[in-house]
Amino acid sequence: MLKENVLQQLVSIVGPERCKTAKEDLLTYAYDAYAYEFRPDAVLFPKSSDEVSAIMQIASAHDIFVTPRGAGSGLGSEALAKQGGVVMCFTMMNRILEVNTANRYAVVEPGVVISELQKQVERHKLFYPPDPGSATVATMGGAVAMNAGGMRGVKYGVTRDYLLGLEIVLPSGEIMTTGTITTKDVTGYDLTRLICGSEGTLAVLTKIVVRLLPKPQTKRTLQAIYDKMDAAGTTVSKIIEAGIVPATLELMDKTIIKALEDFAHLGLPLDAEAILLVDVDGDFETVEKQAETVADFCREQGAREVRVSASEEENEQLWAARRSAFGAVARMRPNCMIEDATVPVSYLTSAIKKVIEIGERNNVLIAVLAHAGDGNLHPLILCDQRDSDEMERVHKSMDEIVDYALSVGGTLSGEHGIGITKSKYLTKQLSETGLRMMRGIRKLFDPQGILNPGSFLEDRQS
Amino acid sequence: MISEELREEVYKCIKCGLCMNACPVYKQLYFEGASPRGKVQLIKKVLEGKLEPSEYFHSLLFTCLLCENCSVNCPSGLKVDRLMKAMRAELERKFGLPWQKRMVFHLLRSSRLLPFAMFWGRTLGPTLLSMFAKSGKMGTIPYARFPRINPVPLAKQFPETISPDKPKAGRVLYFTGCATNYMFENVGRSVIAVLRRLGVEVIIPRRQMCCGLPIFLSGARQMALNNIHHNLEILGLEKVDAIIVDCATCGTALKKEYVHILEELGENAEPARTVAEKVLDISQYLSRFDLKKFLGPVQGRVTYHDPCHLVRSQAVKEEPRRLLKLIPELEFVEMNGADACCGGGGTFQWEHPDVAAGITRKKIEAIEQTRATLVASGCPGCRLQIHGNLESELIQVVHPVELIAKSMKQRESSS
Repeated sequence: MLKENVLQQLVSIVGPERCKTAKEDLLTYAYDAYAYEFRPDAVLFPKSSDEVSAIMQIASAHDIFVTPRGAGSGLGSEALAKQGGVVMCFTMMNRILEVNTANRYAVVEPGVVISELQKQVERHKLFYPPDPGSATVATMGGAVAMNAGGMRGVKYGVTRDYLLGLEIVLPSGEIMTTGTITTKDVTGYDLTRLICGSEGTLAVLTKIVVRLLPKPQTKRTLQAIYDKMDAAGTTVSKIIEAGIVPATLELMDKTIIKALEDFAHLGLPLDAEAILLVDVDGDFETVEKQAETVADFCREQGAREVRVSASEEENEQLWAARRSAFGAVARMRPNCMIEDATVPVSYLTSAIKKVIEIGERNNVLIAVLAHAGDGNLHPLILCDQRDSDEMERVHKSMDEIVDYALSVGGTLSGEHGIGITKSKYLTKQLSETGLRMMRGIRKLFDPQGILNPGSFLEDRQS
Repeated sequence: MISEELREEVYKCIKCGLCMNACPVYKQLYFEGASPRGKVQLIKKVLEGKLEPSEYFHSLLFTCLLCENCSVNCPSGLKVDRLMKAMRAELERKFGLPWQKRMVFHLLRSSRLLPFAMFWGRTLGPTLLSMFAKSGKMGTIPYARFPRINPVPLAKQFPETISPDKPKAGRVLYFTGCATNYMFENVGRSVIAVLRRLGVEVIIPRRQMCCGLPIFLSGARQMALNNIHHNLEILGLEKVDAIIVDCATCGTALKKEYVHILEELGENAEPARTVAEKVLDISQYLSRFDLKKFLGPVQGRVTYHDPCHLVRSQAVKEEPRRLLKLIPELEFVEMNGADACCGGGGTFQWEHPDVAAGITRKKIEAIEQTRATLVASGCPGCRLQIHGNLESELIQVVHPVELIAKSMKQRESSS
């Protein structure tokens, strides 16, 4: 618990309106989009780097735990106060400070919602490519802290690939900047990319500089419909092998198709076993040609039908529906454990088969969704947390999926992060030396261990 | 008690957060308790007995416009607004209503006191208002920008049955609602003129009462029951083609809310279902006619604002636009975010003026960007809120049916 005098000091920084301690508020900051709840002792809403710095100074002086948080759309309790203390929430520090068209970069505060940035820069004919499924909810701060990926990863990469620089506040309260505003920069260690994906364990983000691209002239969305999941998986591997680079390449199985159709009523084919949703973008001529090539490819691999969307509006509807997949499956069961294991793309078909086999063998309902183009599987495990027997089977299935991904050279988590849900697997992928290096780095940034305690780096065995 | 069906709703929330970016209130306040996800999670705790409903929880439930953006954007189909309404009703028993609401609702549920109050409001209003500061506001709306009360209630200006001159093309009951009856008489006159021109017989049931929506959405369901039963009774009496409303809110009450409330209270909802099937917004009813030949030119540029209670509660989106586009020479222009809430939310703008002002500002900006001279909307609450916050005197706020009536008049006077 926070001591009254410490709380008073914190209130004096942000004011009573931006320091919440009512039980109701603490309950609403106990969850993210995953399953577990941890109640903080207070929630602070800073609006400037100076306020963040002042908060961290008090926290380090009194050994108060601080967990930074954005919109709370995380999938592994990363931004929850796992050991109590203060949640530092950035939703009120949400200005876009600059969109620089001459040098193609933008500077934002951490609370800016990703889709808001995308919309703003598109007005200047620019483009911020990283596009996680939760882009209309998640904040830029969260995206950087988690190195969020998303649907355009196959062509455009992930958050890390667009970071130029950061302003951060260290646990001690010191404010420092990393990187620059230029694309090229080899001055010293790349601390920018070290902070990116550190899950809030090294420093608190206060400003983010991202690189922007010129906005592609046009794009086309294709929907390839399959009677056999295998054929859909093979198409993906073949497209990548052939050197075609679609902007997105998403795969969904019949369970997902049904859930989306129930929500969005788009006329999706309910009898299909799988759909590939493919975007091609670029200038008019290339897009025209690529769309045809992709469509031919899909047909050759056994797509029953390939639909090309007629308008921008139809594109939007399809992608809005895809964004809703995680929420839409909640129509079926009360809880959804979303897996994130990622395999080399040539293993996609066998990985999907494996997931289906694991689900059937363990008697667990698994819907398959994938950012297929980069081998990033999202098996959605549908269950009811209130049923402990079922949950045991769910966890067994998750273990097996992870083991499979690692056995073919994949990774524990492609984009959701480790948090507390995957930390038990960490030693399967990282060596003792690797972990020691990471813990050493953390110690350097945060000698007192006050920032996001209980995170993935904590040694759970001891 | 909250019905079993609604109690299960909370388990549909997977906390994905898609409702948050859709919520106009959250986008002003930016804390979780103000968001639909936060409220659903708190309601879940209350229903599971893990949280004792407090004054603060109560106030969070009323930090909501009931605009239904969360409900229509929820991928798992959780009926957030129905859950909120049911929870408000639960809490009303514990916390009661604020005295201002108690006073107003007392008027709304009485068929004698309301006309009496309106009469004195009309007579003494200007004198009373002059006693307040000129710059004074009620919520976000300056006193000076409230419409005047009708000199005579609309229903008293017409016989109960208004027969058309020519052969009958239809027969409808007209539920005028309080706003048209006491404040927006030109809307009512327009509805009647248009229907007469089309050859439709209009019956305005003398004994209709307030639809009760402001009362029961504040949680006071028992208090509103008399209005509900009374209205259902008189609306069920006549054999008509349709029961028409010109008010999005009354329409929602008659089409949706009566059924939900009676079901949730375990009462017989059958009469409500029968009435609901007949209820049509005036824009829907007019879509049945070939209007083109009755319409003359109207000058100007019009944009349309979707009331929450039409576009989301009743899924009426295209009909009013089609009407406006039919009018010769009138230029129709779509505003950005036409279906975004205007921030009025009934009593919301008065309870949370700061939050409402931020939401309304966006709406006004969108309207001004269109450079329209007319804003049309089928909801008196929206018209009050938009007119009340417009700074330009050059933009007129109207009901779509007023423009149709004007267009018909043009045609008649020219032929």
